[in-house]
Amino acid sequence: MSETKINIGPIHPSTHGVLRLVVTVDGDTIKEVEPHIGFLHRGVEKLAESRMYMQNIVYMEKLDYAAPMAHQELYVSTVEKLLGIEVKERAEYVRVVLLELQRIASHLLWLGTMCNDIGQMFSMFMWTMRDRDMILRLLQEATGQRMFYVNMRLGGVNRDLPAGFEDDTYKVLDSIEHSLGEYKDFLESNPVFMERLKNVGVLSRENAIRLGVTGPVLRGSGIDYDVRRNSSYYKYTKLGFRPAVETGGDSFARYKVRMKEMQESISLVRKALEEMPKGDALGLPIKLIGAVPKEKEAIVKRELPRGEGMMYMVADKQRPYRLAIRAPAFINLAALDHISRGQRLADLFAILGSLDLVMADVDK
Amino acid sequence: MIFMEENIAENEKVMNARKEMDKLVADSLKRYKLKPNALFVKLSDVTKHIAKKPVDWARTNSVWPMQFGLACCAMELMDFGSSRIDAERNGYLLFRATPRQCDAMIVAGWVTKSVIPELKRLYEQMLEPRYVIAYGECATSGGPWWESYNIIKGIDQVLPVDVYVAGCPPRPESLFQALIKLQKKIGGVVAKD
Repeated sequence: MSETKINIGPIHPSTHGVLRLVVTVDGDTIKEVEPHIGFLHRGVEKLAESRMYMQNIVYMEKLDYAAPMAHQELYVSTVEKLLGIEVKERAEYVRVVLLELQRIASHLLWLGTMCNDIGQMFSMFMWTMRDRDMILRLLQEATGQRMFYVNMRLGGVNRDLPAGFEDDTYKVLDSIEHSLGEYKDFLESNPVFMERLKNVGVLSRENAIRLGVTGPVLRGSGIDYDVRRNSSYYKYTKLGFRPAVETGGDSFARYKVRMKEMQESISLVRKALEEMPKGDALGLPIKLIGAVPKEKEAIVKRELPRGEGMMYMVADKQRPYRLAIRAPAFINLAALDHISRGQRLADLFAILGSLDLVMADVDK
Repeated sequence: MIFMEENIAENEKVMNARKEMDKLVADSLKRYKLKPNALFVKLSDVTKHIAKKPVDWARTNSVWPMQFGLACCAMELMDFGSSRIDAERNGYLLFRATPRQCDAMIVAGWVTKSVIPELKRLYEQMLEPRYVIAYGECATSGGPWWESYNIIKGIDQVLPVDVYVAGCPPRPESLFQALIKLQKKIGGVVAKD
């Protein structure tokens, strides 16, 4: 048969942002997928060079708008390493609570949008958005903002957790744990859902390493690698964190990894709240005349909801001389062409949904 | 109840308009020396005048926004359409994926140089009357990216904007307020809750 080229996007409801795909199909079978990116490029790395260290948090949050807390923490940690500032003990626990809450919110958003993509299960989207909103309300209570928190400070956080936050969190977590169980039963007994995810978009163990994918995509292919445990930052090891690993390698395995991760995050938040020591968690105030960096360059990696994020910073006197960002979504997008070859065209968005991309993270 | 009273008032206005219309028709018949059954002469004027109020009312209370998210503000746009805010209760029906079925375009996010042609194309594909809401700082003025080499400083450089919403990102409630403002601008009777 003859091959045809189909253009999808750049503005399409299922691409989660502005992504253009040129798909070569033979009949209904995908031969090649060519992603065209850069529609959201705004030059974050360049802009960061003209701002003081702590002014850049605003830009870093907008890298991944589904999980702003994770990116700002990554950036602030890089600056901390550069300036040689230690994080207070209570602040470490507070950060773990905020980061894991953000991870649950991000994964809930992914679940809703992916179910919407694979067969107009719009009620699922409504339910997960309801749950996500409860977490956003918690984060708003803790930081004062609904979406872009700008809450991390050098050595701690801007605000300590407010009074009554623990009880609210326990209530919300109980409710979310209950609904996650419901979603699991509901989805895994749904033949349409299983049909569209099982054995679709298989990424083998070897290819996952070769393509450099990280996060739930890598763990879905059976590789036990999680930065939270492997480089053991904050109190993750002490809190008994165990990464979720699945061996299937298909879209369903990625779904299962994320569902398990949400469960794991819930128990992490609970444990962190229980074991949290009393004391001071406040960081240094933002000063426009910053401290003098102790090291020339710093590199920090963190487990973001979408995978391993890395920031490399070369110091100048008051601001970064150079900032390089390893965006997990950008690397994971590279796997799209590989895993969708040979699949049906209709499965393309199930695969794209299971990779969980945020285009602002890809384009920087 | 307020809504009902206003409806009655509107009905009276429409009736008055019809009476005026009858007069206009009679006058024009006299002026053009036509027989009473040759009504088609001024038919376009007649329909425009009689139908304006009901059509405005209908347009006001069924604004269909386009499902079109660019960046961060699209998260709040999703929240606007989902459980907590539930925009459908005030007449902003389902988000449509095609511009041909839409009345309002909510530009939620920063607009880069490479998105401008797509944005213009989508706008031109929408049927008239069409409205544009600049949602958030980036769409209003470039926001935090005003120094960036790839972002335009506000979409009003390329499209006519009806309502601006400030905030980074604005809460979903402010989008609700913006749509009520848009409804008032369209000119019909706005349903109140």
